[in-house]
Amino acid sequence: MKIAGEQTLSAPRDRVWALFNDPERLSRLIPGCEKLEVISPTEFAGTLNVGIAAVKGVYAGKLKLDEVRPPEHYKMTVDGKGKQGFMRGSGTLDLVAKGPKETAAAYAGDVQIGGPLVQVGQRVIDSAAKMLIGQFFAAAEAELKAEAAGTVARQGFLINFWRYLMRLVRSLFSRS
Amino acid sequence: MYPSEFEYHRVASVKEALSLIQQYGDEAKLISGGHSLLPILKLRLAQPRHLVDIARIAELGQIAEQSGRITVGAAVSHHVVHTSELVRNKLGLLAECAGNIGDVQVRNRGTIGGSLAHSDPAADYPAAVLALEGEMRLESATGARTVKAADYFIDLMTTAIQPGEILTAVSFAPLPAGAGFAYLKHRQPASGFAMVGVAACLMLDKSGKCQNARVGITGLGAKAFRAHAVEGVVNGKAPDAKALADAAAHAADGVDPLADIHASADFRAELARVYTRRALESAVARAKP
Repeated sequence: MKIAGEQTLSAPRDRVWALFNDPERLSRLIPGCEKLEVISPTEFAGTLNVGIAAVKGVYAGKLKLDEVRPPEHYKMTVDGKGKQGFMRGSGTLDLVAKGPKETAAAYAGDVQIGGPLVQVGQRVIDSAAKMLIGQFFAAAEAELKAEAAGTVARQGFLINFWRYLMRLVRSLFSRS
Repeated sequence: MYPSEFEYHRVASVKEALSLIQQYGDEAKLISGGHSLLPILKLRLAQPRHLVDIARIAELGQIAEQSGRITVGAAVSHHVVHTSELVRNKLGLLAECAGNIGDVQVRNRGTIGGSLAHSDPAADYPAAVLALEGEMRLESATGARTVKAADYFIDLMTTAIQPGEILTAVSFAPLPAGAGFAYLKHRQPASGFAMVGVAACLMLDKSGKCQNARVGITGLGAKAFRAHAVEGVVNGKAPDAKALADAAAHAADGVDPLADIHASADFRAELARVYTRRALESAVARAKP
């Protein structure tokens, strides 16, 4: 299945790039994301509990980034599995500055989806994907607006320093 | 597959149903005719631990006319809607739509509330409910509210129903005398789903021109919608073949057509245009100026 589209986000390109590379903030934007762990700077693993209306499921997946050209482009490869089905695919994300406070995010990809979910839901898979992608971008827009409004900055120097320390400690103690 | 284990609660009142879904929250699912929910359960795509059966609540099984509006209870089966004298006489479009759903067995079990709550993109009712400008009554532990059809269908299988709410009835203003209507669909041969379904109703004024045309289309996009583009073109015109074809050409305007193994996006859009033209022609033929 081919997925492609473009969304305009109300933030300068480098802020959008920062958001799309920050697993902690991304985990809040991805619909149903319960966990997004960093395995390496270009590899993440996560758990999604996502669905539409009554049909929800838990999926475990890996996301890999390639061809990373900050702040404008990367290629993503995704591999997810759950009881209800699996998903494999790759796609590209391109960020183009449309103005000092606007960025166009263009995404294009090819996804294979299989399992019971597709067997019965084949006729709605396209719309379901579009809906979830729409939710993701709406959340991204809200997050970028909140950031611009200083909500995050207001949390202050100390907590951000604490988070930096913790990330440092975690990275020192984790081994792959 | 068999559904995963659940506890079954048969309730006798809306109040009981509300308290159960309040109590069990996410783990509870309402079941009426079961024709939208059971396939999902059997494939284990949903695994609720509690099923609350509202199909036998007396007040949800009534069709009544009151203060100039016709109210259809959520648990009324498609067969009853199709054969009800009141609905046939005053809401003919709804009866015709209900008679086209699935097959005899589906029509005997499936209910209007279940169909509208599930809001499958290929369901028939949403097209007619939009064209008839029905109003959905949603009840919760804290009260009741009414949502107009135009605001009710939000996205793919997503409606205005909030957690803790139950759709208990749909109400309509009766069709005016002399209104012409038609519900036509392109049936998927195996399932009977509407690959595209068009519900049209309109009036003819004294000079024979179309007015008050309302067209609801299902099956084309992620949700059913009112084809305002079509209505805008046909209203005020004499309904000759060319005028209706011109109006129907706008059936897929602004909609992202679904594409699946049954039909490509282009084919669906073309089906929408053809069936809209046919539905308008039928409605015009039945209308009395």
